[in-house]
Order: sequence, then structure tokens, then C-alpha cells
Amino acid sequence: MTGHAKRWLLFAVVAALPVLFILLPIASFLITSFFRVEGGVILADPNLSNYGAFFGNWTYLGTFLGTLWLCLQVVLLSIALGYPVAWFIWRRSGTVRYALLLLAVMPLFMSYIVKLYTLRAMLGLNGLLNQMLVGIGFLDGPSQFFLFNQRAVLITMTVIYLPFVILPIFLSLERIPRGLLSASADLGAGAFDTFRRIVLPLSLPGTIAGGLFAFVLALGDFVTPQMVGGTTGFTIGRVIWSQFGLAYNWPFGSAISAVLLAVALLIIGLGGYAASRRRV
Amino acid sequence: MIKLKPISRRTFVAGAAALIASPAIVRAQEKKLRILGWEGYVEPEWLDPFKQATGAEVSIVYVGSADEMFAKMQGSKGADFDVVSFDTSIFPRYIDAGLIAPLDLSKVPNTANLAPEFREVAAIQRDGKQYGVPFGWGSLPLIYDADAFPTAPDSWAVMWDPQYAQQMIAQDDANNCITWGALASGIANPYNLSDADFETVKAKLIENKKLLLSYYAGFDEGVTLFADNGIKLMYSMGEPQVPALKAKGVNAALAIPKEGAPGWLDCWTVSTGAVDVDLAYAWINACLDSTTGKALTQKTAFGNTTNTEVNTAAGMTYGAKLSWLLPAENYEKRVAVWNEVKAA
Repeated sequence: MTGHAKRWLLFAVVAALPVLFILLPIASFLITSFFRVEGGVILADPNLSNYGAFFGNWTYLGTFLGTLWLCLQVVLLSIALGYPVAWFIWRRSGTVRYALLLLAVMPLFMSYIVKLYTLRAMLGLNGLLNQMLVGIGFLDGPSQFFLFNQRAVLITMTVIYLPFVILPIFLSLERIPRGLLSASADLGAGAFDTFRRIVLPLSLPGTIAGGLFAFVLALGDFVTPQMVGGTTGFTIGRVIWSQFGLAYNWPFGSAISAVLLAVALLIIGLGGYAASRRRV
Repeated sequence: MIKLKPISRRTFVAGAAALIASPAIVRAQEKKLRILGWEGYVEPEWLDPFKQATGAEVSIVYVGSADEMFAKMQGSKGADFDVVSFDTSIFPRYIDAGLIAPLDLSKVPNTANLAPEFREVAAIQRDGKQYGVPFGWGSLPLIYDADAFPTAPDSWAVMWDPQYAQQMIAQDDANNCITWGALASGIANPYNLSDADFETVKAKLIENKKLLLSYYAGFDEGVTLFADNGIKLMYSMGEPQVPALKAKGVNAALAIPKEGAPGWLDCWTVSTGAVDVDLAYAWINACLDSTTGKALTQKTAFGNTTNTEVNTAAGMTYGAKLSWLLPAENYEKRVAVWNEVKAA
């Protein structure tokens, strides 16, 4: 066997897994999205009717736009909370810093479903949050303000996806050479100026990456809205889910998934482009 | 000294194959029954006597949904199972797919034990032939907190009363909720809706949605939400939610409102791919034994079709008030309308 053939063989072996488990499934739902269902049978009859049905019906398009808006809120809130946390951890030194970092990402070791149930218990009428607010006298009695509405979805998703935002921001902060901070101080910049002109721009790629993580994870999450969102917890993920059971409209479900994938890729692409332009 | 003849590779392989195959050869002469059904339908109370009486070996496969069951039968064209149980509304689908055939009821003498209301069920008959034997039933009733309602609510209208806003939950199931909305709107046949009916039902369900605290998916989820959030009323997924709520300290009770509640009736039937057809009939016969019905109701809280006294003792006297499930006009449309309600 020549070296060339060997290289190809090696490539085929390495590529087999991603092709088998990522590319083929994606290709299969992309293809299915052009089929149609008649009388409970999927017909391989290529057409665009599923995409027409999606973009032509406000129930689906409106739900999709609502979901995008929700995800954007999750991103903004989790960066607003995650950036200060990452910055605080970065400013510590030695073992304290890594102990804190470990604490921040600790929730990732826990099952997603367990976190959902815990959060629901905490936000509920008899939950920790209400007890605290009543205890400090902020509320007169327990309130349903925090559970079974869009606020609950926002709070829960932000809490669950926060570690995915903190980690990349911390990593980008850590890559900033300490010399740059000293130089900035030597040149007379105050703490705020240093942050604004050195730290923030240099940590922007990590911040964008963290935001993208939160966005994509929230976009595909169809369990959180159902569990804590009450009657308003209806997102595009739930619409897709509903096409694969009783309705047996796999092609339509695949078409909505394809739109979702395209939008996610577009946003990742834009984010990546923005991040690369910021690289110094 | 005895010299052992070394075993050749070929002899060894042949011997090993015979050794491995021998239990299968013996087993082939034994009776074997393959059951496909729901959890709670094959319990030791009637399985053990059946095994003793027939000497048969029994394998059981349980499913989590009606779709999964159909897929399993369709996948093997019925050849993987001898006897199967599903609800009356799905019978046309199985008959059309050729997965079940008319039954020979002379092989099920215990049909004489059936309570009168289960002897002639139109939904499991076609062209005068019977395709199933009724076994278990239940409903999707209104469950309420008896501390808040000393007398049981008699109408679904209570779930449209703003007085109970945010103290009510409903199951999240497209088909069941459309049927429910149709019943609450007073539509005569909730399984065959016209486009105008769909509009009525949609408006009705959107009105209800504003008053609900949440929808729930799954038996336990409904019980948990009810118990943790001071819920007073629930469109339930079935009778067993009442004992589950009581176990959580809720003084729960159920009611069948005057508009009716969806009811389901599961029936045993023989697969066209059955290997031992007589054994399959023997199983169905054993399931209609009067002791079986008693054990089914007392153990699983499902209604039985043979022992009326036990049903009465368990409070399951409302069979006549139920709106028995039928095949719906268009499941795809039901899912679409339900999505519109949820997106509203």
C-alpha cells in the first residue's frame, strides 16, 4: 500500500463516524422535508409544499419568531449575568480562581431534567424564591409571578445555560496577556479605561461564542418551555415534536427542523465572522 | 492406559451446535404464546393459572403508545405476536392493514361472562363479524379537589369559570383535547368534526387556555402539578390519577360531567401472524374468566368487562355516560388546530 492510499484509508476511518452519525441523519431529514404524507403514508414525491405551509401560516411562523425573540433574551440575560461572574473569577488568583471556576461549571455535571425539576420547585408558589421574598418583606404573600409564564422560561433557560456562557468568556479573559494590563496602567489609564479599551474588546470573541452557545441550546430546547412555561410555554421545538406522533407528518416536521437548522447556522456564521474580525 | 482420541475441530463444532440447539428442539414441541399489550393486562393473577392449565410458555411485550404498538405489528406483518390488545378506535386501522381477522367466538366460551353492554360493540365489528373481545376500560374524567367542591361539579363548564382561573390544568394531547373541547361545546359527535365545528372547538379551547395554570404531559406530571400548586380542577388522563393524588394528600375525586367524558375500551384480538391460534384463543378465554376481571379492577383501577359488582364497588358505574373513542375524522387536522390553540 502506498503512503497515499494509507492516508486515504486513515481519512475514511476517521470520517466514517461523523458521516454515519451526523451527516447522514441530517441529510435524511433534509430529504424527508421535501416529501409529503397522504393517508398515513410518506410519499417520496419531491415538492416544496411543507415549506409553503410553514411560511404561509402565522401559527408556525409566529411561533418561530417568538422563539427566536425568547432565545435572544436568554442570550442577553445570560451574558449580562455571566460576564461579571467570569470577570470576577478571572480577577482572583491561584487556587481560588480554579475552585471558583469549577463551582461555576458544576451544574453541568447534573442532569438537565433534575435541574428543571429543581428550578420549578424553587420558582413555585411554595418555593425558595417566594419564601425568601416574603421573608425579607418584599412580597406580602407568595406569588405566581415566577412560574408558568414566559418569565419562568427565561429565568430557567438562563440559569441552565449560564455555565456555557461563563466558560468561554473566562477563557478569552485568561488569554489576555497581563503585560497589556500593566502597560495600560503605566500609560495612565484608570481601571475603567483599561476595561473599556483593553479587556472588553479582547474578551469579545469569547463573549460572542458564549452567547452563541446559549442561543443554539435555547433554540432547540422544547422541554423547558413545556415544563415551566404554563400555557404560554409553546415554542417551535414543540411544533416540530407534535409532527412526529399522532399527526405522523414527518416531512412537515423535517421541513421546520431544516428552517431551524438554517437559521442556527446563519447565526453561528454571523457570530463567527464578528468574532474573527475582533481577533487581535 | 486409555488413549483419548483427540477431538477434531469439526466434531467439536458439530457437538457444540447440537448442544446449543437441543433446548430449541425441545422447546419447539412446547406451546408458546407471544403477547403484545399494555402494562397491567398480563398479571400473575390470571397468567399463572393460564400457564398451569395449558403448560404454555408466555412471552410478553409492553408498549408505551398506540403508535408504537401499531409499528411493532406492522413491522412484522403480525408474525411476531399471537395475541394483542388495543382500544376500539384503532380497530379499523388494523383491519385495513390486514393485521387482524374476524374471530371465531366459539373458541371463547367465556364471552358468555361479558356484561350486557360489552356483548355488542359496533366499533369492533365489520360486515357482521367480530374482530375483538372487550377486556378493560376507563375514561378521561374531570378530577377535582373535594375540599373545594363538597358536591361534584356536573358540567365541564366549571373549567370555563373565571373563578377558578390559574387553579386548573389540562392534559396536553391533541386528539384528547379536541374531543374534550367538542364535548364541552355540546357537539353531538366529537369524533367527526366539520370545519365549522373545528372553529367552535378552537375558540372554546383558547377561552379555556386563558384560565389554565398549565398543560401537563404524562400521568405523574399531572399529579405532581395538581398536588404542588393548589389545583382545584383537572382534565385528567385517567382513573389511576385519583389514588395517586390521594397518596400525595390531596382529597381528590372524579366526576363524569353531563356532557360526557372520553372513554376507551381495550379489546383482545388474534394476530393474523399467530403461530398457535388455539392457544391465543385460550388466552382470550382466560382473560374473560370472572376472577380475571375482579383482579384487573382491584389491582390496576381499570374497569373490567365481566364482573359488574367489582366495577360498582370500585365506583366505575358510569360506562353509559362515556363518549366511547371512535376513529377521528382527521388526526393531522386535530394536531394542527391544537397547535393553533397553543400558539394563540
